[in-house]
Amino acid sequence: MQIKQLIEKIEGEAELDFTLSHGRVEDVTINFGFYRGIEEILVGKHLLDALVITPRVCGICNHAHLIASVRAIEDGYQKAGVEVALSPKAKGIREFTLSCELIQNHMKWFYLTILPQLERLVGAETGENYALKASYLSSTITKALALFAGQWPHSSYAVPGGVTCDPTYVEVMQAQSLLDETIRFFEEVVIGMPFECYLARDKALHLQEIAGDFGRLLGLMEREGMGEVGQSHDRFIVFGEEIFFRSGKSMATTVSGVDVRYVEEAIQQGSYAKAVSYKQRLYEVGPLARAMVAKEPMVKSLHKYYKDSLLTRIFSRVHEVVRLLDYSKTLLQNLRLDEPSATLPTLPKLDSLEGVGVVEAARGSLIHRTRVVEGHITQYDIIVPTQWNLSHGNALERGIAIEAMVGSETIEKASFIFKSFDICSVCTTQ
Amino acid sequence: MSKLTLVWVQSISCNGNAHSFLNHPELFSILSHFELLYHPVLDTPYGLTELIESEIPCDILILEGSFKAEGVVKVGVEILPVIESYAKRAEHIITAGTCATFGGVFKQYDPTHITGFCFDEEERVSRYDSYASKLISLPGCPIHPKWLSYVLMMLAQGISIPLDHLHRPQELYGITVHTGCTRNEYFEWKVDTKGWGLKEGCLFYENGCQAPYTRGSCNKILWNDISSKTIVGTPCFGCTEPSFPKTALFHTKTNMGIPATMPLGVPRRAYLTATGIAKSFKIKRLEERVVEYEV
Repeated sequence: MQIKQLIEKIEGEAELDFTLSHGRVEDVTINFGFYRGIEEILVGKHLLDALVITPRVCGICNHAHLIASVRAIEDGYQKAGVEVALSPKAKGIREFTLSCELIQNHMKWFYLTILPQLERLVGAETGENYALKASYLSSTITKALALFAGQWPHSSYAVPGGVTCDPTYVEVMQAQSLLDETIRFFEEVVIGMPFECYLARDKALHLQEIAGDFGRLLGLMEREGMGEVGQSHDRFIVFGEEIFFRSGKSMATTVSGVDVRYVEEAIQQGSYAKAVSYKQRLYEVGPLARAMVAKEPMVKSLHKYYKDSLLTRIFSRVHEVVRLLDYSKTLLQNLRLDEPSATLPTLPKLDSLEGVGVVEAARGSLIHRTRVVEGHITQYDIIVPTQWNLSHGNALERGIAIEAMVGSETIEKASFIFKSFDICSVCTTQ
Repeated sequence: MSKLTLVWVQSISCNGNAHSFLNHPELFSILSHFELLYHPVLDTPYGLTELIESEIPCDILILEGSFKAEGVVKVGVEILPVIESYAKRAEHIITAGTCATFGGVFKQYDPTHITGFCFDEEERVSRYDSYASKLISLPGCPIHPKWLSYVLMMLAQGISIPLDHLHRPQELYGITVHTGCTRNEYFEWKVDTKGWGLKEGCLFYENGCQAPYTRGSCNKILWNDISSKTIVGTPCFGCTEPSFPKTALFHTKTNMGIPATMPLGVPRRAYLTATGIAKSFKIKRLEERVVEYEV
């Protein structure tokens, strides 16, 4: 039996074609509506215009696109022999603003998508306006971001060699106070326990100890046996190296190195989204992948029991927020404002350059490749995280999200598993 | 009195306007004055399928994204005719963002066929006449959440909104982005910035800043309530303008060393005279750093 299901209120929409057999999902095809052609729009533009155009790929992870595009240019200069050395200050500020964007994204996903949908799925609705919490957290943390980046969404404050801002401690204090406000909200409302307690538990943390909205979510998921469903290939990949993220791939119990040169894109029949693989194999990207590759103790211990299940995947994304908030505090404390914000006052003119920029976006590794001749872009290539998680698969195996959905008893459950990947339709069909 | 109904529909978009609005700190107080019946991200009484298949009540239609007659399909249906059917019934149409207003970034993929809802850059499209009487343009890439909220509040209270020839509210677009910029002193005395990453100096002369000829209140009603591009040393890219995005956005085009585009409405001769005088003085304070940190 074939059933079409529209998935909406993600970043854009997607259509899933389910094949059901014997009361279970047997196969799924994922389709996206239209294509916007950002890569083509960039061709012919000045190389720095990518810093303005690529954030417009996505309203929710625009900042990650900015960072990927500035790194692609910086990489191009480095490969051409021009030294690009960021000051610790510029590096710290970029990490801070990126962290803010990830926090914003994860908490919107938690409050706008996951918690209300889970409640609906298992018939445990509270009728609470969770969107109010999402909006509060998001507006508070992006305000901290804007102190350095000018605005969110769609900032272009990262330039080759650093950042355009030149903050004083007045800005740093404001950012600290907004971060503290976010942490306080998190303690009182999201996890219902002091931050230090949560972080100090390490792998000995029992899920039952977590209270607040996150505790409620985990309780419902355990009750519904969601540690047993939603498993995929249990294979993870990370390309970004920043914050506490480390690049590498994780399979079974080993973590090994990766090289972005082996990433391949392929056109998929009947879809505007291209599939991505690494040496012909499919990998999951995102917070769970980052935690597995960095051997994050709490996630590893959960994974031991529940593998790459729905429970582990959802836990990892919220858990990442706690760690990002903690890390961001240290970043702000360590900023030395006497250091330069940008180290390349004028960009040296080069005949041509070719560079790759990688960043860990909210949903996983984001890769930009730029090719520039006489100052103008001749080719631009964007590989977004959702392409990894949503590829249709190949002759050997199903795609990551499809594998996770197969076996579900209902379309509603399968759709919930789909959303646990934090789908971004607009990114996928840039 | 019953509340006005609100429907927010997307065409070719990045979701940036929806997310910008979600960042409004008083979002739910604003929305409490309306009945939000459909929104692409927020939970609403109706879903996309119902929006397409039935006629949801719609007093205010908010549009996001640029438009193309064919090829923008949602749930198997071309979205433009659906949007037009809502536009016909709506009392007010707000084009939220530069894409919906003028075509914006996505227009550049297919410049002949992709446009804003009623404008193709500055030109009126054939749809214009049908909707002009109820059209409000709120360009910006993305839309400023507060600008949208204040316009919504005015509509809820029946306040008549003075608009310019492109249907932009004069109260928001009557001034330029330059108004209120923290670097104004440097502009007045023609002190150029010495590079990226400095709080000192003006970005108009070399770094591509379009604020003096871009309409918008970015430096009056700040972004995220706290900042703006020019405050953090990023040039204004003219994202509220029909021409957005131009090229070479980090460089000022010049004619014989003078910016090629003049501040809005300023004759070239007036500019040359004023700058000639301003430049003849050396203001020591403006050449120095504002803050010296001890190393």
